[in-house]
Amino acid sequence: MSIETAVAHGYPEPRPLPSATNIDAGGLTRRFGRTEAVAGVDLCAGPGVLGLLGPNGAGKTSLLRMLATVIPPSSGRLQLLERDPRIHAERREIRRRLGYLPQNLGYYPGFTVIEFVEYFALLKEMAPARVPAAVAAAVERVDLGGKARARLRTLSGGMLRRVGIAQAIVNDPQLLLLDEPTAGLDPEQRIAFRALLRELGESATVLVSTHLVEDVGAACGRVALMESGRIVFHGTPAELVARGDQGAGDAPLERGYSAVLAGARA
Amino acid sequence: MNDSTPGVAPADVDLGRVWLGVAVQVWRRRSSRLERVAERLLGSAGLARALVTTPSLLLPWLIASAGVFAAGALATRLGAGEPLVALVAPALAGAGIAYAYGPGIDPAWELACSMAVSDRMVLLVRALGVLAVDAVLGVAASAVSGAAVGVTFGWLVPMVAVSALALAVATVARSANVGVAAGLAAWCITVLAGQAATGTVAVAVTDGSLFVFYVACAVICAVVVLCATRIPRERPTPWTSRGAS
Repeated sequence: MSIETAVAHGYPEPRPLPSATNIDAGGLTRRFGRTEAVAGVDLCAGPGVLGLLGPNGAGKTSLLRMLATVIPPSSGRLQLLERDPRIHAERREIRRRLGYLPQNLGYYPGFTVIEFVEYFALLKEMAPARVPAAVAAAVERVDLGGKARARLRTLSGGMLRRVGIAQAIVNDPQLLLLDEPTAGLDPEQRIAFRALLRELGESATVLVSTHLVEDVGAACGRVALMESGRIVFHGTPAELVARGDQGAGDAPLERGYSAVLAGARA
Repeated sequence: MNDSTPGVAPADVDLGRVWLGVAVQVWRRRSSRLERVAERLLGSAGLARALVTTPSLLLPWLIASAGVFAAGALATRLGAGEPLVALVAPALAGAGIAYAYGPGIDPAWELACSMAVSDRMVLLVRALGVLAVDAVLGVAASAVSGAAVGVTFGWLVPMVAVSALALAVATVARSANVGVAAGLAAWCITVLAGQAATGTVAVAVTDGSLFVFYVACAVICAVVVLCATRIPRERPTPWTSRGAS
């Protein structure tokens, strides 16, 4: 399938990225004992939504944890928001402008939605006077206004995921890292979430790790595909679709995904 | 004069923004007096909130700690005069500190590690908070127990040592339970070894020569915690390229 045909299928053409390079990684690796979870990733990204696809164990979560400054790389170069995360003061500045949703986000069951989001707003060192308005706006953006004062222990899995998204966006981050954000969301919520992603991507760099290729097709301007710790494809959804002539799958993007993976494994 | 129709919003009113203004007021959380004092002392609203949410400073834990100290004071008063409060305090503080922060204890630990308020500061503030609370409870229990007046403050240094050990092991092993086990085991061994050597169970908190050992242990453990929570910043480091441009 040609790129023109793929665009005609509804996969958006990439918009030119503004000059700011919010993620600049070169030769990034991460080892856990003898296992090399991330094996030399080169990645540059400015504002926009970047989808990160890949099978289980491909290294997506390890890469996101490094970008979130939770774990240091074993080797390689990393600049985030044009700052060096090795230096304490710069790491702190990065973290003030960072939104992160881990794959397994724990919750304080006794906290209300507002208390949880507010807690992380304060830990992000937002000015306390700004916090109440920012918390209310974040909670409304994920459509949890009706549950704002509910204890987390009373919420469903999908609602808890939205609480996690609210804490990630509460500081209006310049760099937003979301690990499986749509897990547990129902179809209606996923559609609303994709719209939110597109909106956030207009000003911030949004990196979304997911297994759901339809989320990538609908919300991401660019897509990276990881396999065995390496990025084996980086381009637009339309370009990925164009690679799908020999791939297996029901949707064009799935065929592109499986064709690229098969090629990388071969 | 208001000429708008009742129940219908004027066209230029952004109802979403109006509701948000209302929501901010309705949902605003009133911080407790303790939290406001902590914020003033620490100079950080985030640290203050982290302190008042310490798992081992929440009401059930405090009640349990007070209960243990009360039982120790009562047993000391009614028993043979052994300073049980002094012997219990280090173990209790060690457990409290190991359960103050870390993976498995703090549900959102990974997220907290990506925050601008450093997890090391949270750890430090919570550890000091637990130590302070246990010290106050221990002093009160020692005063009540009467028979242990001579060792009222003798347990403070061992308490710091056991707490530091539990914290260091919990940090390195990334398991609060392992930290608690290490702290309790070390303290039990110290007490039992003292008893075996001298025939006095309280020697672990009364023998001044042991205090050098406790201080050394606390310092070493503090260094271990600092190293274990350090993110490398010098070049070349794990963050630096090996051949990448």
